[in-house]
Formats: sequence, structure tokens, C-alpha cells
Amino acid sequence: MKEMIILSAIGLFSLSCFAETPQNSRINSATGAGTWETQAHGVHFSLTQILPEQVQAFYVNRGFTLKQIEPYASSCVYMTVLRNDKAPGAIHFISNNWSAIVAGKTHTLVSVDKWVQRLTTNNTKKSALVAFRWAQFPVEQEYEPGGDWNQGMLSFGLPAGSQFDAIARWDIDGEAYEAKLQGVQCAR
Amino acid sequence: MPGKKSIRILMSLLFIILLISAMSYADELPPLTYKLTAVDKAVQAPDLRLHNMDEEIIDIKELKGKVVVINFWATWCPPCRREMGSLERLYQAVKDKNVEVLAVNIGEDLDTVFSFMGTVEPSPEFQIVFDPDAVSMNNWKVRGLPTTYIISPDGTIAYSAIGGREFDHPDIQKNIINLSRQLK
Repeated sequence: MKEMIILSAIGLFSLSCFAETPQNSRINSATGAGTWETQAHGVHFSLTQILPEQVQAFYVNRGFTLKQIEPYASSCVYMTVLRNDKAPGAIHFISNNWSAIVAGKTHTLVSVDKWVQRLTTNNTKKSALVAFRWAQFPVEQEYEPGGDWNQGMLSFGLPAGSQFDAIARWDIDGEAYEAKLQGVQCAR
Repeated sequence: MPGKKSIRILMSLLFIILLISAMSYADELPPLTYKLTAVDKAVQAPDLRLHNMDEEIIDIKELKGKVVVINFWATWCPPCRREMGSLERLYQAVKDKNVEVLAVNIGEDLDTVFSFMGTVEPSPEFQIVFDPDAVSMNNWKVRGLPTTYIISPDGTIAYSAIGGREFDHPDIQKNIINLSRQLK
């Protein structure tokens, strides 16, 4: 009987992990990189960390040198997805309005334009900068309900090892909405 | 010692856990969607005049009278890669119905695109054109990749789709075929 109770508890726990919850998170045991996702007001929001060496490899393949891309690669970069599944209307966002809360303090994100400025030197290949610009999560975008979405890189500009809450903000006809991911970790 | 019944229960639970884990892993990739957004206002499609893989100029103005599917993409964009096979399946399904597909590559060279195309199943037969400086992205007000526009035979934008799609989905094919019938 005791075995049955324990087994049932294990089964229920396993199932509850995958039930619809405000926030899901998982860590890739092989890489240590995590994924955090939530659904808020009909909008899916998720972050998956791209480890510094993965960011470096991606951009070195696009024409950057290791030295050029190092500041960006080590700034806590996440593959970001925002998708309008069933919001009550078209959502509009400006990703510079998104933020991270670190130890109770609000941290604004470094804009894509500032990253492009930092990465632009006499030696930077134009094709590398084009790839950088368009591989980033959109700066501004509008998604219709039913599945408009983007997947792109977003730097939180934090040191490795940081833990933070990430807040995505959007509006529908001027009415503000947000989704929060709590306890996001930036693996070293 | 656990009895045979307990072992069976344990094995069943283990199977369920593994199955759910596998489903969860499959969920890692965001799903491609299949809804097109109808553009209500009659907006004329911007100019698009770029070289294809044979270094010939392709001008969208010369495609007036046809439905044109314009897909902005790059090989380093994961959803772009994932939707490419479905774009070719769509092309095969509608190419005899007065429909053209133009895939506008952003910022890459012919060799990179050519080697990527070798990995796409089925292998793309639609036109691929090159925008090395992403100039068309600004003209078309594209803010993220992939973005797709469906152009009516009269040259106006009929539908848009932001983000990866399953282009061979029956709903998308139906919209495109209906649009191509507007001329008849």
C-alpha cells in the first residue's frame, strides 16, 4: 500500500510538471542553459539562454572576430519568442521598453542600435553587421492574433551568473499589458 | 522486495514519464502557425528588383497579373529554415495557378544560400533573390525574419504573415488559390 502511495505521488508530480501553469522552466542538463516560458493575456513569451560560446560560434560564422563579438556574447543573451496566440487584438511592442529586475532594481536593456554602434569598427564586415541586426529580436513589431510571432536574440546586458525577472510589455490600442518571467538565470 | 505488480506499475509510470518528457522536448521548438492576416487597406506593394541565383534581375513589376508570395529570410534564422520546405510544397501545389514564389535572402552570398538549399527537402525550385544590404527590408517595412507578404494580381498587398508558417497548410493554399482566381 505504501509503495502504491509513493508511486501515485511520483506519477501525479510528473504530470503536474506539465500541466498548464503561469510559468514553466527547464534546464538543459547537457548545457546548463535554461528555458523559461509563460502565457499571459493570450500571448506566449519565452526565453532560452544561448550560452556565450554558442553566441560566439554563431557570429564568428557570420564574419565577426572572437574579440569583436565577446562583449555581446558575455552579456546574457536569450533566444526570445513572443507569439500572439489569442490576445483580444493586434499587439504592439517596443522591446526597448522591456526590462529585467535584478535584486529589486529595474535594469533597462541595451538597445540593438547601441550594440550595432559598439560592434561597428573599421574592420567589421558589413555582412556580419547585417546578420547581427536581423538576428536580434525585433526592436518594434505588431502581431495579429492567430500566430504572428518572432524568434530572435535579446541581450539583457547582465553579467554571467545573474538571476533576474524579465518583463515583456506590449499594448493593444494603447492599453498596456505585460508578461513576467521570474527567476531567470544566466548560466556562466 | 517489491512484487511483480509493483514492478509493472513502476514500469508503466516510467514509460508515461519518458513519453511526456519526449513530448516536452518536441515542444522546445515554437510551433509554426498557419494563419495569414488579411490586409484591409489597398496598399500597393513596394518595388523589388533584385538578382536571382543565375544573376538575372527579377522585378516584381513584371509579375503583375500574378499572385506573388514574397518571403524575407536568411539561412541563420531558425524559423526561416523550418518553413522553407513547406514553401516549396506550396509552390509545387500552386505554380500552375498563376502564382509565383520569391524568397528574398537577406545579407548572404550565393555560396551560403546554395549550400543551404541542398539541405532543404523538397529542394526549392522557386526563385531566390539576394538583398545583400537589407535595403528591401526597409522599403517593405519588415521588422523581423521571416516575414511574408502575399501580393494580389493587381499589385496590392493582400495578406501578411510575421514569423514562421506551414505554407502547405490547406488554409494558406486556399487563400492563395482564391486570390489567383480574382483575375478570372
